Parts: sequence; structure tokens; C-alpha cells
Amino acid sequence: MAGSPTSTRPGPDRVPAAARPATTRPPVPATWVLKVVMAVTGTIFGVFVVFHLVGNLKVFLGPEEFDAYAHWLQRDLLAPLVPHGWFIWIFRAVLTLSLVAHVWAAVVLRRRARVARGPHRRQGMRTFRSFQARSMLVTGAVLLFFVVFHVLDLTTGTQPAASAEFVHGSAYANLVHSFQRPAVAAFYMLAIGTLFLHLAHGLWSVVNDLGATGRRLRATGAAVAGIVGLLVLVGNLLIPVAVLTGLVS
Amino acid sequence: MTDPTTTRADTASCTPDDVRTLGTPVDGRVPDVPAEQAWDDRRLHYPLVAPANRRKFTVIVVGTGLAGAGAAAALGELGYDVECFTIHDAPRRAHSVAAQGGINAARARKVDNDSVHRFVKDTVKGGDFRGREADAYRLGQESVRVIDHMNAIGAPFAREYGGELATRSFGGVQVSRTYYTRGQTGQQLQVAGANALLRQVARGTVTLHTRQEMLDLVVADGRAQGIVVRDLVTGEVRAVTAHAVVLATGGYGNIYCKSTLAKNSNATAAWRAHRRGAYFANPAFIQFHPTALPLMSQWQSKTILMSESLRNDGRIWVPARADDDRAPEAIPESERDYYLERRYPTFGNLTPRDVASRAARERIDAGFGVGPLKNAVYLDFADAIARLGRETVVARYSNLFHMYEQATGDDPLSTPMRIAPGAHFAMGGLWSDYDMMTSVPGLFVGGEVGWGYHGANRLGANSLLSACVDGWFTLPYAVPGYLAPLLGTRVLPHDDPAVLEAVEAVHARTERLLSTGGTQGPDRFHRRLGEILYRYAGVTRTPEGLAQGIAEIRALREEFWRDVRVLGEGAELNQELERAGRVADYLEMAELLCVDGLDRDESCGAHFRADHQTSDGEALRDDTTWCRVSAWESPAPDAPDARFVRHDEPLTFQAVPLQTRNYA
Amino acid sequence: MKLTLEVWRQRDAASPGAFETYEVADATAEMTLLELLDRLNDQLVEQGREPVAFESDCREGICGCCGVNVDGRPHGPQANTPSCEQHVRSFADGEVVRLEPLRSAAFPVVKDLVVDRSALDRVIQAGGHVAVDAGTAPDADTTRVSYETAEMALDFAACIGCGACVAACPNGSASLFTGAKLTHLATLPQTRQQRGARAVAMVDQMEHDFGPCSTFGECAVVCPAGIPLSAIAAVGKERMRAFLRGRAS
Ligand SMILES: Cc1cc2nc3c(=O)[nH]c(=O)nc-3n(C[C@H](O)[C@H](O)[C@H](O)COP(=O)(O)OP(=O)(O)OC[C@H]3O[C@@H](n4cnc5c(N)ncnc54)[C@H](O)[C@@H]3O)c2cc1C
Ligand code: HEM
Ligand code: HEM
Ligand code: SF4
Ligand code: F3S
Ligand code: FES
Repeated sequence: MAGSPTSTRPGPDRVPAAARPATTRPPVPATWVLKVVMAVTGTIFGVFVVFHLVGNLKVFLGPEEFDAYAHWLQRDLLAPLVPHGWFIWIFRAVLTLSLVAHVWAAVVLRRRARVARGPHRRQGMRTFRSFQARSMLVTGAVLLFFVVFHVLDLTTGTQPAASAEFVHGSAYANLVHSFQRPAVAAFYMLAIGTLFLHLAHGLWSVVNDLGATGRRLRATGAAVAGIVGLLVLVGNLLIPVAVLTGLVS
Repeated sequence: MTDPTTTRADTASCTPDDVRTLGTPVDGRVPDVPAEQAWDDRRLHYPLVAPANRRKFTVIVVGTGLAGAGAAAALGELGYDVECFTIHDAPRRAHSVAAQGGINAARARKVDNDSVHRFVKDTVKGGDFRGREADAYRLGQESVRVIDHMNAIGAPFAREYGGELATRSFGGVQVSRTYYTRGQTGQQLQVAGANALLRQVARGTVTLHTRQEMLDLVVADGRAQGIVVRDLVTGEVRAVTAHAVVLATGGYGNIYCKSTLAKNSNATAAWRAHRRGAYFANPAFIQFHPTALPLMSQWQSKTILMSESLRNDGRIWVPARADDDRAPEAIPESERDYYLERRYPTFGNLTPRDVASRAARERIDAGFGVGPLKNAVYLDFADAIARLGRETVVARYSNLFHMYEQATGDDPLSTPMRIAPGAHFAMGGLWSDYDMMTSVPGLFVGGEVGWGYHGANRLGANSLLSACVDGWFTLPYAVPGYLAPLLGTRVLPHDDPAVLEAVEAVHARTERLLSTGGTQGPDRFHRRLGEILYRYAGVTRTPEGLAQGIAEIRALREEFWRDVRVLGEGAELNQELERAGRVADYLEMAELLCVDGLDRDESCGAHFRADHQTSDGEALRDDTTWCRVSAWESPAPDAPDARFVRHDEPLTFQAVPLQTRNYA
Repeated sequence: MKLTLEVWRQRDAASPGAFETYEVADATAEMTLLELLDRLNDQLVEQGREPVAFESDCREGICGCCGVNVDGRPHGPQANTPSCEQHVRSFADGEVVRLEPLRSAAFPVVKDLVVDRSALDRVIQAGGHVAVDAGTAPDADTTRVSYETAEMALDFAACIGCGACVAACPNGSASLFTGAKLTHLATLPQTRQQRGARAVAMVDQMEHDFGPCSTFGECAVVCPAGIPLSAIAAVGKERMRAFLRGRAS
């Protein structure tokens, strides 16, 4: 179009990008809302696995202690605040809802991330942190699979996940029998390692997503994330190892 | 073809009369009241535009630096319809972003006896009495509001422990009036200004056009009524018309190729406007910054500036013995020459830039230079570290030290920095009257593209101020004053012959650059031009040298149009074409720069002529003949035997009587 | 020294791009990465081939124009350093160096190594400013700002807008950039008034063009302005704060 000048006010297609008024709508649901969902549900899981670990470690106190504890969990916790037996169902409902929300938000976020990154993968910076962050979806999926397996194994006693010797109410025996199968023990150990990867990074993410900007708060958060991750890793690993080595039987 | 450039090339010993004629004087239209009342008086007399009528006026602002962003935002805030252009992809990238040291303001909060009057005195005297006194008053008076405004819109100025604004002192003054944000003053001001501009874009008062280069000015009926721009991405050339045009396109220091300016800083907008009739004032007044980094290799693309604030605590020295090859640490105190402290005991290392640059150049030329190419002097922090402690020194200068270490690989805390004078700031620029309007009615200037305030030498930290004052607090008064009588007129239609002619001229020029089909890229010409200018129009000038420079520039320009190679096409992002256009303009402008230097038969400020110096080597002004501004008009580029025309604006000084600058 | 450069060449946004290989035989250690490109271009022009388009301006690390991916890493091998201050001394003689544009879906390629980063400006345009008109500001000394506050604001105001954080982020997130501006303006007392509205506007606009943050932390490794990673937490913090308190302040 050499020679013919265009108008003073350029048409919409001619307006340079930076001059476009910012009337564009944010995605729905907003990314920050999804991040809050991730952080809250992730924190719930984090708290759960820590308490679960404490309970699990009672394995080392013997069958009576452990079974009594399992029973207390099922029947007596939070009573008389809520009637006997209710806790476990409230708890299961919260956990299931959280899991659904967590997985849903994770998938939506990852899809947005994928689109925003574009077709070119950026390489060149490989750190442990970025490995953890990058593999969140994979570690999360392994965890999901594990949890399903785990519930079938130790809660419902559904075959083939559960051992042939499964008996409702004998938590200690069920556990020992289950872990005496080497393949299952190996899978547990793998899952526990995965949990460490997921949780250590996940909790650090929580610190950031929930807006911890202060220097001391961040340092504390980073430490807690690391310590919780390690605790859950080492503590839980002890159990299958103990069963396999015959320390617990 | 009888090419005048080639026939003139060998007449290297030309005199001013060979290259210029005298035109009618120009009038600065300074209000006829004492200088300190001029701004109040002028504001009282500006015609006003009623708020409801403002959006009927379209104003073009070219440039988004401190001056351009300020003017565009302020005019947008007032309600004018503003069209704003920049060659950058984002308004924040204008070269104001690179200023480090600080911004002056005559807020006079301390009891160090500062005041607006003292600010004016320092500015006028620092400029060696070659700027307008009334302009300097306005600058000082508005400086207060500039700090308040920039603070309010988010520039995080350095603070004292008590919470008040911190200041430091800068070269050439004995009070502490420089406000700063670490070593990033320009960045913080620029980002705040650019963001204020984006606020207006969001409000719809300003239309921002990024990556668009102004390549010509549209003048019709004797008024500036539009510009021609090239879209740098698509290559499309089009005209934009308006009621007034503000140029805020920055300085032309890059004409020296290796300068402290950004790679894309250019004189094209100013030079094209000059070609359309805007007089060019004092083009020879170029400041060489004493604390630039010396060239270290052939492919170095520019000289990097180390902020002048370093001179607050650093001591400058060279070995007392020429060609001393020892490492700086190995040279004992007694064998060092702290030449600034020796020659200028009062100001010492804080003498004004021109004095410091010349003194350094003198030492380097006399064989005392240091570094591998012997082209530098030392700037030493050992004393400051001993006096203040390492921590304090690091706190003050950490990012500058870091920058130095980045560039050179040396740590300034353990070995002295090496510095050398580098082309830096253009005091010269498009001539404008007191209202910032050029000799083309309707064409305004703001910031470094203009000539105002700084005379023959700019005081450090005064130019961020002048860009801010022009943009936020002068043009928003002056431009409406010009527009008011035009109420009811329409912008020029795009089929007006003046518009078509300007667009055609840009096309023709682009075509010519693309089709020359030579062998050398534009960068090579730029480098050679820079060498010529440093040699003949550098820190020290001689009439013979300038005449030689003129001849060499003409020859180079002729070679350029014969042998330039611009690859690629016009209708695409073509950086080679952009560079070629800018170098072509520099090749024209450089001649004027040398002509002005040759013509101005005196030494003043940064313009130091070896044939005008005192017995101890100081600049010798000639106030009887040269107390005036040279406002130049250029002949058509290819006209044979045409001469540059000098229009004078005489300068008078009431508040600050003429005196010899003396920093000893 | 001799370097082999694999440079991304792309005519314009619509065309596909590809790597082309060039050799620079006389590179020197003091050269910057961009001077190396200057040298290459000089060579290309001499050979009558079109020079490589790349952006730069100040060449001293402050304007934010420059930015190329070097072997997949935004700006180059040296951490927290812009492309214009990366030096050839980081490479070994004979090395193959791969130069690409900054990669992100929000940064379409304009030509060769030049990308369009105006999405960042749209974030600022949405709300990264202060509603004070020329001449209406109060005396800057009336609001005291402590030394520490001013310094902290400066730490975050230092962002040069280069977009390397986005290119480094495997999620294509602009959290570091946005968080830096939010923190800068939320820290200073004189710019705090529209804190809530600003957070809403900027975060919403950011989410439109950019991906979510998953705390990879790689943005802060490349950021030439050394913006602390806590900036990413500021995004969530400011947005949640605005949500909990209502928009205005
Ligand atoms: C390294 C350095 C350090 C400095 N330090 C200080 C200091 O400490 N204190 C101080 O007071 N001063 C300092 N200065 C000087 C000061 O920074 C400048 O004088 C001032 O910033 C100029 O501002 P400006 O708005 O006039 O121009 P700029 O900021 O240069 O802006 C020019 C604008 O014009 C646009 N433009 C240019 N040509 C065209 C065209 N053809 N078409 C469209 N748009 C165009 C550009 O894109 C840009 O937006 C320094 C200068 C340098 C180089
Ligand atoms: C019991 C198991 C789980 C625990 C303890 C857990 C914990 C966490 C935590 C704490 C976070 C950080 C939240 C944040 O970013 O703020 C997180 C993030 C994440 N989780 Fe889980 N999670 C679990 C299961 C899963 C499962 C089953 C999946 C998936 C399929 C999953 C996928 C993710 C992903 C992808 C993220 C990163 C989200 C992002 O991009 O920011 N998680 N998880
Ligand atoms: C070595 C490690 C572990 C042991 C020994 C262990 C043990 C048990 C036992 C015995 C139960 C059944 C309690 C009951 O029904 O009475 C149980 C339930 C459960 N565990 Fe684990 N667990 C381990 C690791 C994990 C991990 C890593 C997770 C999650 C990531 C997990 C999540 C669950 C869940 C969700 C339930 C179901 C709770 C319910 O609804 O009743 N466990 N675990
Ligand atoms: S935050 Fe850092 S990397 Fe991101 S744009 Fe700003 S300076 Fe560049
Ligand atoms: S790399 Fe990306 S994921 Fe967050 S921490 Fe930085 S924005
Ligand atoms: S060129 Fe300005 S930051 Fe690199």
C-alpha cells in the first residue's frame, strides 16, 4: 500500500498490542482461586499424612496398641463432639472431596501452564527443585493409584490388593501380612518416595501460594516443608522395612 | 555529475565564511520581566482551553522517555487526545532508563544555603553562560514539584533513616541537592513515568504506538501538523496528523558511535524536523563524560558510563611518570598524580564534567594514560574504604561496582577502576523559544532533543530534571497556549499535498537505501564517522581539525550513498534499514556539528578550542562576540555550494552576572 | 577463539523457524554475547546474507530490551545477568552455542530472536500505576518513608521488564514480574491507596496471558534485576487480600 497513508486513529487491527485496552477477561475459575484450592487441599493431605504417620508408627508398640488406636480412630475420635463412629465418615468425606478438588485443580492448572508455555520446551536448567515441580502431576498420579490400592488393601480388604489373610478389625495383622509380600512392600516404598517428592515441593508451594512474603515466614515454611517431607519419608519407610526384615511380625 | 562533496574534500582548510552565512536573528520570546518572574508571568498570559474542548485537539508526542511520557501523560490527564509514538516495544525502554546518578531539585531543605537562585547560578555558570537565564529559573522553580510528583507516582527515592528524602552532591556544585534511588534514578523515574503514561492509555486519552519510528515531519501552512512514521514490524509507512507535535526523542550523542547512549538512540526525528525548518541550536556542544569505561576491544559496541556519583568518594589519579607500566597497587603514593586535586583544590575530584574530561584527556594524550591501551585514568576507592569502611562504600555503589566487574572482570574494591572520557550528553538540540516551541510553529520539544537550560555544559543530574520539567510541568502549559486559538480547526486531511509529499519523501529515501546495493553495512560507516568526530570534534578542537573533519565527513557521506549495503526488504522488521537511515542522518548532521564548532570562535563549556585558552590551559570565552546561541538552518543536502545559515539569539544575564568560570 | 552458533531464524510471526549454523572465528573473551552477534552480523552482511535480528538498546543491563535463550536458558549461562552482560568468557573455545528467542506462548516471535513482550505491558497498563495527576502530589517529605521501606521497595522496583522470568518458567508464568510491581507499590506508603484494586486488575490481566506459578523458582535464577522469589508469593497475597477486604484499598 505504498504511498497511501492510513487514518489517524488506526482501526482495531492496526492498534499495537501494548495499546489495546486491558478489557480481556481472566480465565474462569481464576488461576489464583485454583491455587488456593490446591494449597488448602494439599495442606489437608499434608496434615493427614503426618497424623497418619504418627499412628502408623504405633506398629512398633505391638498389635494391641495399634489395633486399639485403629479402633479409636474409627469410633471414638472427636467424640463426644460428634457421635461415635461419625468422625471417620466426616473425615472420609473431607478427604474424598479434597482429593477430587485437588486433582481437578491440578489438571486445570497444568493445562493452563502447558498452553502458556507454548510449544517450545525450555531446557538448560535442571535442579532438584525443578525436577520435583515438573513431576508433580506424575507423582500425584502415582499417589492417587497408591491410595486406591492402599484403601483396598488395608481398609476394605478387597482382593487382590489385600492379602489373602485379611481380617476386618485386625489392622496390625493385615498390615504385616500385606507387607510380607515383597512386591507390595516395594510398591509401598516407591509410593513413600513419591510422596516425599510431592509433599516436599507441595508444601513449599503452599507457603508461596498462601502469600508468605516475609523473610522469616518463608524460611520457616521452607524448613517445615523439608522436615515434614523427610519425616514422612523416613518414618513410613521404617514400617515395610521392619516387616520385611522380620522386626515386626 | 558535479558532486560538490568530492570537490570540497581536498579544501580541508576552510574558514567559517566558506561554509556558512548569517541569517536574521531569532527571538527567544522570553517574557520581558526579571528572569525569576518570567515563568509566573508567562503562565498568567497563556490562553486556556476549556476542559470540554480539550478532546477536540489531537497532539502527537514522539518519544516516551521522561520528557515524552510526562508530556503525553500530563496532556492526557488534562483531556487532550494524545497520539504517542516510540521506536521501542514498550514505553519504559526509553534511554532515560539508563541514567544512574540522580536528579537535581532546588527544594533547599538542608541548611547548606541552597535556594532556587543558587540553583540558577550553578546552572547558568555551569553552562558557561550559553543558556537562557529565564529557562534556568523555570527549571529550578518547577523542580520542587517534579520530586513530589515522581515520589507520588511510585519512584522509591532514597530516604534517610529519619524517613525524609535523602540527597547527595554532584559535580560542579557545593550543595547537596541531588535526589536519587541507588544507582538507578533514571530507571525509577522512567518506569514511574511510563506507567503513568500507561494509565492514560488504559483511560483512553492516549493512544500508544510502539515500534513506530518517526521519519519525517509534516509542515503545512507554516505549521507542524503531523508526522510520517514507519511501522518497524510491518514496514508500513503512514502519516499521522494533529494540531501540534511534541518531539521528545532524546539526544544525539550516538553520532560519536561509541557513546554512553543506548544503541537505538538517534537523531533522526530531530534531524528530519530540522530538514523541515526547525533550527538546530549549538550542535557542537557535546558533553564528554569523564567517568565512562575506556574501550577495551575492537568489537566493544559502546562505552559504558560509570555514574559520576563515584567521584564523590573515588579519587582520580595517573602515575606521575609517563608510561609507567606497574600495576596500580605497586605505585607508591608519592609517585601518583592526583591531577584534579592538584589543579582544582576547591572542587578536587568533583570539578564539572568538561573540566574533568579535558584534564583526563590531557593526561592521556601526554602519555600518562593507564590500562592496556593507555587510554584511561584511575578512579580509586582505597581511601574511601579506609575512611568509611568497606561496607559503607559497597552500600553506596554496589550496583555500579557490580556493573564495572561485569564489564571488565576487575573488582573495584581491590584494584582502582579505569575510566576515560566518552561522548555522553547533547547540550545542543533543536532550537526552541521560551515556550519550548521550535522555529516551526506547532512543533515543540522536550528533554534532550531540545537545546534548553544547559548552555555549553550540563551540570550532572540537571537533565533528568529538565526532561521531567519539560514533560510534566512546561509543555502541559505551553502546548495548550498554542492550541487555544486553533479551536475549531480540523487536523490536516491525509490527502493534503503536504502529507502526500512527506510520505513520498520517506518512501523515496527508504527505496534509495535499499537499492544502493553497495558492499558495506551501515555500522561500518557509523564506526568510521565516530572515529572522525572523536578525532576532530572531541574533547579538544582546533579550527584546522574541524575543517579536516568537515572534509572527511563529506567524503564519507558520499561513499555511504555510493556503497552502503542494506540487506532485507522494506516491508518487514529490518534493523539494518533502521540503522542505515539513522547513520545517513548522522552523516548530514556531523557536518553541521563541525561547522558549528569551527564557527564558534571561542572556548566555552564543553566546546574547548585549543586556540582559545588561558596560559594555564583553561577555556577562554569571548563574551563580546559569542554570548549568543547559534541556531542553524541547513541547505538542501545535495545543493552545490550551498551554505549553512546561522541565526543568532543573543543572550543576556541579569541575575547571574557574566563571569569567568573558575573551578580552581 | 572459535565458536559455532546455531541461531534461530524466522522471517516473521507467521513463518516457521529453524536453526541455522554459523561460525565466528575471531571471538574474544571480553566480548559480550551481543557483541558476538554484532560480529556475526558484520560477517553476514559482508557475505551478502541477511543479518540476525535481535533486540538490545542500553547494553548495560537496565533497559530490558535484550533477551535471548542461550542453550535453552534465558539470557545466558551466567545467573541473574542480562544477555547484554553475558560474556563470551563463559564459553569454551570451539563450543557450539545455541541461540533462540525467549520462548513463551505470551511472547510471539516477531523475527529471528526478536519477540513481542507487550503482554507484560498490558499487566502494568491494567493497574501498575498510581492515580495521581501532574501537579496534585503533596510534598514528598510529609509522608515519612523509613530507610528500610524505601530500600525494600527498590529491591522490587528494580525489575527491568525483560521477560526472562516468563521465558524461564516452565509454566509460562509472569508471577515474578507481576509480584515485583505489586510489592513495590504496596510497600511504599504513598502508593498504597489503590492496593486492592491494583491487585485485582493486574492479577486478572496477568492470568489472561500467562500461566500459573508452581514454584519452580527458575525465574529468580535468571532475573537480571535479582528480584527475590518472594515476589511470586506477593501475587497470591495481594490478590487474596483484595478478595478478603473488598477491592478498594
Ligand atoms: C548513561 C547515561 C546516564 C545518565 N545519567 C544522568 C543522571 O544521572 N542525571 C541526569 O540528570 N541525567 C543523566 N543522563 C542524561 C539523561 O538521562 C537524558 O538527558 C534524559 O533522560 C533524556 O530524556 P528524554 O526524555 O529527552 O529522551 P529519552 O529518554 O532518550 O527518550 C527518547 C524517546 O524517543 C523515542 N524515539 C527516539 N527516536 C524516535 C523516532 N525517530 N521515532 C519515534 N520515537 C523515537 C525513543 O523510543 C524514546 O522513547 C544520563 C544519560 C546517559 C546516557
Ligand atoms: C495424598 C496425596 C497428596 C498430597 C499429600 C498432595 C499434596 C500436595 C500439595 C501440598 C500441593 C501443593 C499445592 C500448591 O501448589 O499450593 C500439591 C500440589 C499438586 N498436587 Fe498433590 N497431593 C496429593 C495427591 C495428589 C494427587 C493424587 C494428584 C494428582 C493427580 C496431585 C497433583 C498435584 C499437582 C499437579 C500439584 C501442583 C499444582 C501446581 O501446579 O501448583 N496431588 N499436592
Ligand atoms: C507404611 C506406610 C503406611 C501404613 C503402614 C499405613 C497404614 C494404614 C492402615 C493400617 C490403614 C487402615 C486403617 C483402618 O482402616 O483401620 C490405612 C488407611 C489409610 N491410609 Fe495408610 N498407611 C501407610 C501409608 C499411607 C500413605 C503414604 C497414604 C497417603 C498418601 C495413606 C493414606 C491412607 C488412607 C487415605 C487411608 C484410608 C483412611 C480411611 O478412610 O479409613 N497411607 N493406612
Ligand atoms: S522480574 Fe526479572 S526476569 Fe522478570 S521481567 Fe523483571 S527483571 Fe526481567
Ligand atoms: S519459574 Fe515459574 S512456576 Fe513460579 S517460581 Fe518462577 S514463576
Ligand atoms: S540491552 Fe538493555 S538490558 Fe540488555
